[in-house]
Amino acid sequence: MSDITIGNEHLDASWFLILAALLFIIGAIGILIRRNPLVILVCIELMLNAVNLTLVTFSRQLQNSEGQLFALMSITVAAAEAVVGLGILVDIFKDREVEDVDELSELRG
Amino acid sequence: MATFIFLVAAAFCIAGAIGIVLFRDAIRSVLSLVAVMLALSSLYLMLSAQFIFAVQVIVYSGAVMVLFLFVIALMGPVREQPSTRLRFQGLLAVIVAGSFAGLVVAMLGGVRYRAPDKGAVLSTFGSVESIAYGLFTTYLYPFELTSLLLLVAAVGAIYMSRRER
Repeated sequence: MSDITIGNEHLDASWFLILAALLFIIGAIGILIRRNPLVILVCIELMLNAVNLTLVTFSRQLQNSEGQLFALMSITVAAAEAVVGLGILVDIFKDREVEDVDELSELRG
Repeated sequence: MATFIFLVAAAFCIAGAIGIVLFRDAIRSVLSLVAVMLALSSLYLMLSAQFIFAVQVIVYSGAVMVLFLFVIALMGPVREQPSTRLRFQGLLAVIVAGSFAGLVVAMLGGVRYRAPDKGAVLSTFGSVESIAYGLFTTYLYPFELTSLLLLVAAVGAIYMSRRER
């Protein structure tokens, strides 16, 4: 039931899901161990892409295009998130160098 | 052939993702992300999502990545030092990510696939027409809200990049 026919071959949908899970976990590890705020944004983009792959896979497996619609909206939201996140970073970098996200603690009470 | 293409694309994805985490220079991480996104776009094509494939290449690998590269060019190279605030951070990260990976694996093991929906025509599946139909009928409100979100993001980015406020 989870077969996806491509040409005259059958691939199992779980392959795509496992790949997406791996990408998501690698992105999570990146967020946890990297210190550079820009690289953390890159890792968030990686995790969003992994989720998109899951959406498109299930869309294909169910042969229902709603999953692709949600993938499209998640791409839009990711683009907006990148614009705002990078805008904040550039604004901070105008004043000083930031080597570590832990230095950004002005909002702490 | 399809299996071969999947394996090559998956290998590119995993290698690029590991590169993002391990490269010390931010610019190499960003270029690894470009590799991941291009490999993912070929997977989208395999899953007959032609429109998502085009959007992925244009919006992600094109626009968003150029934005990242511009910011790196603005900020200049930043050398990353090991954290001084949190000791054993690598160990803690491995523990947290390991338990998270266990959670995801348990969820994958429990996936029950449903039979495909009836009435779908595979020849037009994933085309601009079928996506636009959903976008302008059932999901019109979310679509309008995302356009509003883009407007807010654009105005916010312009406001933040002003010299004096």
